[in-house]
Amino acid sequence: MSKFTRRTILKVGGIGALAAGMPGGLVSPRALAEGQRITVTAFGGIWEKMIREVMVADYEKRTGNEASVLIGGPQQWMAQIESNRENPPIDVLMNTIDLALIAGRTGLAEPLTVDKVSNLADVPQPFIDIVEGYGVLFTYGAWGLAYHERVKNPPKSFAEFVEGTIAGKWRAALPNAGYTGTPQILIWSLADALGGSVDNVDPAFEAIQKMKPNSVFWTGISDPLIQLETGEADVAIYVDGRTWAHYDSGATWIRYINPEEGGVMQPAIAQKVKNGSDAAWEYINSLLSPGPQAEVAERLNYGLSNSKLQYSDKLKERITPWEKTRFPPFEKTGTAQREWIERWNREIRA
Amino acid sequence: MKADVEPPACPKRGARLRRVLGLGPAGAAVPLIWVLPAVAFMAIFFVAPLVDNVARSLSLAGGFSGAPTSALAAYAKLLGDPYYLEVLVTTLVFSLVVTAISLVAGYPVAYFLVRKSGRYYSLIVFLLVAPLLTSIIMRTFGWRVLLARRGFVNSILMDLGIIDVPINFLSGPGVAVAGLVHVLVPFMVLAIASSLQGIDRQLEESAQILGASRMRTFFHITLPLTLDGIGTGFILVFMLANGSFVTLLLLGGGSIQTLPLLIYQQFTITRDFNLAGAMSNVLLISALICLVLQLRILKRRGVKGK
Repeated sequence: MSKFTRRTILKVGGIGALAAGMPGGLVSPRALAEGQRITVTAFGGIWEKMIREVMVADYEKRTGNEASVLIGGPQQWMAQIESNRENPPIDVLMNTIDLALIAGRTGLAEPLTVDKVSNLADVPQPFIDIVEGYGVLFTYGAWGLAYHERVKNPPKSFAEFVEGTIAGKWRAALPNAGYTGTPQILIWSLADALGGSVDNVDPAFEAIQKMKPNSVFWTGISDPLIQLETGEADVAIYVDGRTWAHYDSGATWIRYINPEEGGVMQPAIAQKVKNGSDAAWEYINSLLSPGPQAEVAERLNYGLSNSKLQYSDKLKERITPWEKTRFPPFEKTGTAQREWIERWNREIRA
Repeated sequence: MKADVEPPACPKRGARLRRVLGLGPAGAAVPLIWVLPAVAFMAIFFVAPLVDNVARSLSLAGGFSGAPTSALAAYAKLLGDPYYLEVLVTTLVFSLVVTAISLVAGYPVAYFLVRKSGRYYSLIVFLLVAPLLTSIIMRTFGWRVLLARRGFVNSILMDLGIIDVPINFLSGPGVAVAGLVHVLVPFMVLAIASSLQGIDRQLEESAQILGASRMRTFFHITLPLTLDGIGTGFILVFMLANGSFVTLLLLGGGSIQTLPLLIYQQFTITRDFNLAGAMSNVLLISALICLVLQLRILKRRGVKGK
């Protein structure tokens, strides 16, 4: 029987720590043999479950490779890739549009082509152009108006929503400067709806200033649901998928309309990280595959990108067709948002 | 003869090394060397990030919206723009108000805990600490549910006929202060309670025997002797309030703008890391200045120097 001394523990621990620290350390024998283990990202909660159970499952079944899922947010993932560009810890990045554009322009992501991702052939061109070819739209939400059934005459358009809020017909829930999508879903959206543009957002700021006395502001994505339920607000600028998910969870009082101007497109972008494993292309193929996408649509109530995808009757009524949404000029809103947020802080202070 | 001289030199050098390392005579306890892991930990996880943050704030690397014009551009903006100066002052005033209210609310609780709770001492300590075991977000949401337009408080007031229209409790700075006091007051109570426990009760009894009223005894004996605990609580609560942003994100409807909120914005939305780094450095330095001032004031009033 060998003697179990402090020195033995240190030796064994040291070897273990070295193994864990080595590149490719602590990987399964199968993965080492095939060398095809990739790392993909997912937002938390229902997203993570969907990525694991639908997308990773499809990828592993088709290729025999393995994919590990990294949970977190795009800011964190981008920082991880930026700090190790030559040997990135992530192979497929799920990104927000503003950061996806930065990733493409700063050489963090590779351009997608049909010869590498065959399902790309079935994706409408705007979903590739939206990120200048350095990725593809995987899923999208439309930011329209959610409201409580107690509002008997809800607004049909953003313009009417602004007018009604100023007139005190209802209390509005608006995103504040702490929410990442505010530059697009509120500032650009209202500017566009009220006669302005990405280069002239004065109409939006004037409208928000006037709406402020009859509005509550929110930061967290779930806040408007609580604000509508507790009566803090009656009508909210909100996204279709989450509205319907809330409805399905028992909140049958909630309603959603796509305003006449069109809800604002908010995409989730899939990107192949530069210098990441080439096995990642097949994972993106899974992301764009109509079968798994149909499953995702059922689970998330969001629109997806493959044009061959057939939605169920229930989803057809719910999901806003992308043609009926408005695409903000993301490349411009991305550069302008620093100025807009500063203006918000000084003028709106909410 | 040379060999006779050399050997004593080694013990001298050894003694000096031991002194430097705080080892004392050979074979004695080795206090300083055991501190090294903690020092290394602080150097890696506290000092190095601070240095990195300073470097980041001075960096000329640009983001999506362009590069800064000079290394000190972010500081010039923060310290030269009345808007940002106002935010800095608001941050400090807000923290001071929260700390002061926590003191006023927490002292009686600490006093009751130490002097009056008797066999319920453990239970009260548990009740005091229990909220710290739940998420700050959950506690803050609790305020929102209670104070919403159709929430518990407004419903009661309307049912009693006290108000006709719901009061908008959630949009003012008051609810943000209340929410943060709720989160931080246990720190103040525990700090003061530990100080109260250390007071020799005979001092208070002597004062009363000599004719001092209970009020006078409290203000001239008890309170000065707990200034140490008050100082600790003040520092803890002030620093925590100074850096808090979750409560302000969820309560107050954006009526209070503080530096932590703006730092959060710079990281999550505008990705202006230069400005965010500069903001956090300015916040840290201003908080340290406040801390030194507070300690000086408290020491002048009787806190024992260590």
